[in-house]
Amino acid sequence: MLFFTVTSRLLQGFGLTCAIFGITLLCALPLGLVVAFCSMSKFNPLRYLSKTFVWVIRSTPLMLQVIIVFYGPGLLWQATAMPRINAVVIAFIINYAAYFSEIYRGGIESISHGQYEAGQVLGMTKSQIFFKVILLQVVKRIVPPMSNEIITLVKDTSLARIIAVKEIIMVAQEYIATYALIWPLFYSGVFYLVFCGLLTLLFGRVERKLGYFKV
Amino acid sequence: MAILEVKDIQKNFGATDVLRGIDFSLERGEVLSIIGSSGSGKTTLLRCLNFLETPSVGQIYVNGELLFDAKDPSTQREADIRKKRLHFGLVFQSFHLFPQYTALKNVMLARELLAQEQAGFRKNKAAILADIQEEAKALLDKVGLNDKMDAYPHQLSGGQQQRVAIARALALKPDVLCFDEPTSALDPEISGEVLQAIRRLASQNMTMIIVTHEMGFAREVSSRVIFMADGVIMEQGAPEALFGSPQTERLQSFLRAVL
Repeated sequence: MLFFTVTSRLLQGFGLTCAIFGITLLCALPLGLVVAFCSMSKFNPLRYLSKTFVWVIRSTPLMLQVIIVFYGPGLLWQATAMPRINAVVIAFIINYAAYFSEIYRGGIESISHGQYEAGQVLGMTKSQIFFKVILLQVVKRIVPPMSNEIITLVKDTSLARIIAVKEIIMVAQEYIATYALIWPLFYSGVFYLVFCGLLTLLFGRVERKLGYFKV
Repeated sequence: MAILEVKDIQKNFGATDVLRGIDFSLERGEVLSIIGSSGSGKTTLLRCLNFLETPSVGQIYVNGELLFDAKDPSTQREADIRKKRLHFGLVFQSFHLFPQYTALKNVMLARELLAQEQAGFRKNKAAILADIQEEAKALLDKVGLNDKMDAYPHQLSGGQQQRVAIARALALKPDVLCFDEPTSALDPEISGEVLQAIRRLASQNMTMIIVTHEMGFAREVSSRVIFMADGVIMEQGAPEALFGSPQTERLQSFLRAVL
C-alpha cells in the first residue's frame, strides 16, 4: 500500500517537474533566438549588452538565480513576494534562454557564407534567405547540442526545491525527514530515467527526419 | 546598344586597392572570359557586378540604364539592389546549392519566391507553379540532368552540382550570366561536363562573363578575352590575338606560366 501512496505522491511532484520543464522550454526556445540575434547584431551597444547578459547568467549558479528572482524584488523594492513557482519558472527561462542563445549562435554562424550569397544573387530578401535557406540547416546542426541541453533541463528542475517548490525530489526528501524512508528518493530517479528516455527517442527521430540532407 | 557597360570601377578593401579602374562593355550574345593570376581582382569584379561588393568608384549600366553609381546613394538602396541583381546570374566556384532541397527545387525556389510577390499569384497559384516547374525541368534537361531532378545535392557529383547551379542561375533569365572559376573545385575529368554545358549556352547566344583558369576553354568559347593584373585590365582582345600574340610582358609571362 505504501508503494502506491509513494508513487502517487511522487507523480504529483513529477507533474510540477514537467510543468517547470515544459513552460521553460516553450518560452526559452524563442527567447534564446532573440538573444542570439542580439549577440550577432552589428549595433555594438546591443551586442555588448547581450554578451554581458549571457556572461552573467552562465557564470552564476542557477540555484542562486532562483533565489535572487524570488527574494530580490522584496529586498530591493519591498515588493510582495510572487508565487514560488513563478520565481522558479522566470529564473529557468532566463537561464536557459542564455544557454540556448549560444547554441543558436553557433549554429547560425556555422552556415557557410556562400549560402547567403547564393540566396542574394537569386534576388531573395534577407528574411527569405533566413527562413527558406538557412533555418533548416541551422536546426539540423543544433539538434545534438539542443538535445543535450534539454535533457539537462529535465534534471535541473530539481533545483526548484531550494525555495520549497514541491517537485519530485522534494517530495521524496520529505519521506526521509518524516518517515526515515530513503527508497522513495532512489525511486524518483526512475521517473527521470523514463522521461529522458522518451526525450532521447524523440530527438533520435528528429535527427533521422533531418537525415535526408547533409550540411 | 551594349547590354552591359562598366565604367571606371574601383574597389578597395581598407588600404588595399583591389580594382583600380575597370572599363569594358559587352554586347548581347558575347562571351567574355577574364583571365589573370590569383589576386588580380577578377573575382572581385564579378562580385561587384552582382552587388555582393559595393564598388568605391564607378558606374554600371545595363541596357543603357544606370544601375549603379558609386557617387549616387539613390542607386544603392537595399530594396532596389535586390531587383537589380536579377539582371545578373552568378555561378560560384563551390556551387553553394541549397542542401535541403532537391535539384529541381533548387532551380525553382527563387522563381517561386518572386512569383509569390506578383499581384494575382493567389488566384493562379497552381498554374504559375506548374509553369515554373516545367521551366525548371527543361533547364535541368538542358544541362543533362534529366534523371537527377529529385536528387539532393549531397547525392550528386561535383560536376552535377555545378550543372544544377547553372540551371538555377538560368531560371531567373539573367541578362548576363557570370561564372566565377566554375571548374576550379572539380577534378579535371569532371570539369569537362561543366564546360560542355557552358559551351552549349554560348552556342545559344547567352551573354556570359567567365572568370577562368582553363586557358584552352577560354580560347575556344570566348568572343573576347580580358587579361587582368593588379586590379586593371592589362590587355584585351579576340582570343586568337590575345593568346596568339600577347603584347604586354605581363601577359606573355602569365601565359608562359600557365600553358
